[in-house]
Amino acid sequence: MSLPVRPETDRQIDTLLTRFPRKGSALLPALHLIQGEKGHIPEEAMEYVAGKIGVSPAFVMGVVSFYTMFQRAPIGRHHIQVCMTLPCALRGAGGVMKHLEKRLGIRRGQTTSDGRFTLSAVECLGTCDTAPMFQVNEDEHGHLDAKKVDAILERLK
Amino acid sequence: MAFEPLLTRNIHKENPASIATYLASGGYQGLARVLKEFTPEAFVEEVKNSGLRGRGGAGFPCGVKWGFLPKGLDRPRYLCVNADESEPGTFKDRLLIEKDPHLVLEGIIASAYAIRCSLAFFYIRGEFHGPCRTFERAIEEARAKGFLGKNILGSGFDLDLIVYRGAGAYICGEETALLESLEGKRGLPRIKPPFPAVVGLYGCPTIINNVETLANVTLIAERGAAWFAGIGRPKNTGPKLFCLSGHVKRPGVFEAPLGIPLLELIHEHAGGMLHPDRPLKAAVPGGSSMKILPAAKCDVLMDFDSLAAVGTALGSAGGFVMDTSVCIVDALLNLARFYAHESCGQCTPCREGTGWFVKILTRLENGDGKPGDVDLLAEVASRVEGNTICPFGEAIAWPVQSYVAAFRDEFESHVTRRACPLGAAAGRS
Amino acid sequence: MPDPVSFVPPIGPTPAPHGLRTDRPAPAPDPSAALPALPQTGPDQVALIIDGQAVVVPKGTTVLEAAAQAGILVPHYCYHPGLSVAGNCRMCLIEIEKMPKLQIGCATTATPGMVVRTRTPRVVETRKGIQEFLLINHPLDCPICDQAGECRLQQYEADYGKGYSRFTEEKVHHPKRYDIGRHVKFDAERCIKCTRCVRFCDEVSGTHELTLVERGDHAIIGTFPGKSLDNAYSGNTVDICPVGALTWSPFRFKSRVWFLKNTPSVCTACARGCNVDVATYRNRIHRLTPRVNMEVNRYWMCDDGRRSHEALYERPRLERPLLRAACGEGPQQPGTRDEAIDRAVTVLREAGAGAVAAIVSARLTLEDLYMARRVLMETLGIDRIVVPPHEAGQDDDLLIRRDRTPNARGALIAGLGTPDAARLRELAQDIAAGRVQGLVVVGEDPVGDGLIAADALRRQQALVVIDWWRSPTAEAAQVALPACGYGEHDGTVVNFEGRAQRLRTATRPPGEAEPAWRLLQSIGQACGLAAAHDSAAGILGEAARSVPAIAGLSAQTMGTAGVLLQGR
Repeated sequence: MSLPVRPETDRQIDTLLTRFPRKGSALLPALHLIQGEKGHIPEEAMEYVAGKIGVSPAFVMGVVSFYTMFQRAPIGRHHIQVCMTLPCALRGAGGVMKHLEKRLGIRRGQTTSDGRFTLSAVECLGTCDTAPMFQVNEDEHGHLDAKKVDAILERLK
Repeated sequence: MAFEPLLTRNIHKENPASIATYLASGGYQGLARVLKEFTPEAFVEEVKNSGLRGRGGAGFPCGVKWGFLPKGLDRPRYLCVNADESEPGTFKDRLLIEKDPHLVLEGIIASAYAIRCSLAFFYIRGEFHGPCRTFERAIEEARAKGFLGKNILGSGFDLDLIVYRGAGAYICGEETALLESLEGKRGLPRIKPPFPAVVGLYGCPTIINNVETLANVTLIAERGAAWFAGIGRPKNTGPKLFCLSGHVKRPGVFEAPLGIPLLELIHEHAGGMLHPDRPLKAAVPGGSSMKILPAAKCDVLMDFDSLAAVGTALGSAGGFVMDTSVCIVDALLNLARFYAHESCGQCTPCREGTGWFVKILTRLENGDGKPGDVDLLAEVASRVEGNTICPFGEAIAWPVQSYVAAFRDEFESHVTRRACPLGAAAGRS
Repeated sequence: MPDPVSFVPPIGPTPAPHGLRTDRPAPAPDPSAALPALPQTGPDQVALIIDGQAVVVPKGTTVLEAAAQAGILVPHYCYHPGLSVAGNCRMCLIEIEKMPKLQIGCATTATPGMVVRTRTPRVVETRKGIQEFLLINHPLDCPICDQAGECRLQQYEADYGKGYSRFTEEKVHHPKRYDIGRHVKFDAERCIKCTRCVRFCDEVSGTHELTLVERGDHAIIGTFPGKSLDNAYSGNTVDICPVGALTWSPFRFKSRVWFLKNTPSVCTACARGCNVDVATYRNRIHRLTPRVNMEVNRYWMCDDGRRSHEALYERPRLERPLLRAACGEGPQQPGTRDEAIDRAVTVLREAGAGAVAAIVSARLTLEDLYMARRVLMETLGIDRIVVPPHEAGQDDDLLIRRDRTPNARGALIAGLGTPDAARLRELAQDIAAGRVQGLVVVGEDPVGDGLIAADALRRQQALVVIDWWRSPTAEAAQVALPACGYGEHDGTVVNFEGRAQRLRTATRPPGEAEPAWRLLQSIGQACGLAAAHDSAAGILGEAARSVPAIAGLSAQTMGTAGVLLQGR
């Protein structure tokens, strides 16, 4: 029977199952691990982790669909998450988003056809003093303007 | 105005997050003192006497909350650190986590000792990748030095701390939703009562404290309740981290005693308004959920009671400032979208009301407003406020009510002019 | 209890808590009236005041349930007495003195001296608000929605709502009318996210197929992709859905519920005997829904039971007596009742009691079975009577019994023995070998069940069949007598625990069909039996006098909830 994740991930999830007083708590960390390996959480992985935790697949789908960081379909190599909430909006987040949409030729919520970039509008990322900003995968970039944005895009292969 | 930095005393040092830096400036001595000189119950009293009020947004007296734990030890007690910082305008907890994690960690350990907890959880929002790694490193350092683990500093007190990452849900900053998320479920707030102190994580007595609150516990551990209570004003004691962002020259986190004037924060600490020809129009003092203050009302002190007295609240102290270029309707629409995205969807008024606000405000902003829409906004908000499972209802109702009340003319002119008078405005895309 | 208002149809089978009907609410009590004194209470009781009325309830009772016990309905959607408390609809918000915010009655425990007000202006306005919120994204499907007439959203809008909406924008759209399960259709736009269905699948059926997905006003109920709601109890989610989001596919568009007449009865698909309401219109059973009985089935029934009446309309009925001269010769011809009874008596006598056996069903009522013993055993002298077992699967830990007959206990009580597979096999062998010359079959189809070959039956000297449908066995019969099917006659069945419960007539049988006991009685009378009952009650009365196990049993003692037999 082939695992939907690498054996290493499977072992890490097994460790998680004993880390908490209740096994159920292992679900979110396990989903992070799966997404860390595969870039998203496919349905077969949801069924797999449901079996590990001892919950139904429907339950896992309920959890995955609740949290915005969990992706159910593959996304681009570089996930550009532009904060659009008011403190960033006040400092030009709308302009940054428009600029990105033009530069990348896609609308927010879409992925470039070469799979390089996914562009998302996200809510407050808790770094309002560097507004306007975006997060690319795990890295934050603040005090953005069109020039800075272009420079960052250039570096992201 | 200069005063001794307490919470921010290490953030400008070189290698601020390392334990070596922390120890060099007397770090973990507060913990040592507490473990040696206080019984757990005595330290709960100490924190009560300090007057420390929660720094997450509710402002509830910390020691009093600890006192709600049932006396028996038949079930384990848990401490959950709320590092889910997601309130728009708020970025003070991440500053501590990134720049002085040990200040927080020492407070966590001292607090866990006080409430007789041997397993604590650090629930951090999933998007804080960097801060999370920094904090995990700090935990390893602390463990290596014996500040975490078994028999801490020979006191007989054991503590294990697990870092738990959220996955993108503002609602998980609400304490019971945090517990649900920690238990591996959808982050849906629970009905209260029962309160977490009695029935919390895994059904066991649980205390949830904000990051900044716990950093303050470190200060109390170091220098005592009486000293702490001497900072600020009665019932509003201690130093505070204030966030300022929006239309100011130097957005950032500023430490000051509770009670600093808002205008001083804006004009002295944050460098004043961003554009000289665009004066202050309004300020939100404590995170987007708190009621807005039009410029005329901004001459107010930043503490729990003073802000409550003028009809708003300190909240998370995630303040932000809007100048005259801002269309208030557009600003409210931006927030309405935020709350509609973040509503967990569990209860009727919030689930349906948040979406409805977005639709009404969108019409207003696009020039499709109808007479009665402004009253409708306020009335619908009053049907949400007080009727929801958790304070998210107030979090959306208060902005709607206060923006309409403070800027009614601006809302009405959207209706009568059938257009936004300011055209392209904040957040317009 | 408030008097029913005649022009407001009562909420149908959706179980109203504690038997309360959601009638038009009575006017609020006078707020200036003095509060009554609190009555004395025992150690496990709590006294509180609700709407100016003193109420005593067991400790731990919620305010909502306490109000119900006092005859005051606090409207609610997500609360259900058979499920955990969710507290998400917010419809049950009420005023409690000393608490500044309104509290949900479903989750607030009554405390001594609590003063509750459920009909203040503040509560009235709040309910209007909740109703308005529920309706802003709710599709205007009433004209095409099965739930109309038993829809809580409709009823509460009439009772508590504003009557109009201020929402003028585009509603949120979701998938509509798709098969979420084999028997259940889901319309996600109608759903009010009360999560009763999710809680049912988690807590009652234990199958966990349902979940909420997404959040905010895009949250909807769903299954895991590719999986469906297919547990043995899926129909209960339809019952408990307060709106028309979950509907029962076999019932879809069949009838408006206000045309349905509900007759309380019992399901006969297994030995549990779940209490049901048989809903009929124009002499046709349109659906079965569970009736609350905390001792038998609580609030639920299984899907097989829910569909168990459909066979009445899928199988060909026996509507008049059918006769043929000899087994295996020529087609059956219709005959009169008298001809049929005479022929039956004749052929059985000719075969001789010693060579005749009977197969009598545990699906028959106690009255049928009692008469079967009196006629077949005592009057005709047939002492070889076999009750076939019908078993499937195992007893599950909810309602379904392995024994799929409703009255095996009744067969034992009537003196016919218990279902016995071994005896049935022996009988089949003896029939095949020609050692049995005549057979009376009441309510069974051994040919269709594969137990006896049709050929073997054709070689019988006598074959008398009493049944409600033209089964393969009935078609082989020399004399086939038409009997009542489910819902067409009164009778008693005894479940696996020894609870005697009442089946009630809900429809007129077709053609000349009549209760099996009446046909048997006629056969008996033709052989000298001194019995002339004209009702099931009469037979039960006689049986209760002669069979100690059911001494004193009557329709009155059974009522609508049944009665446990002593010494069961």
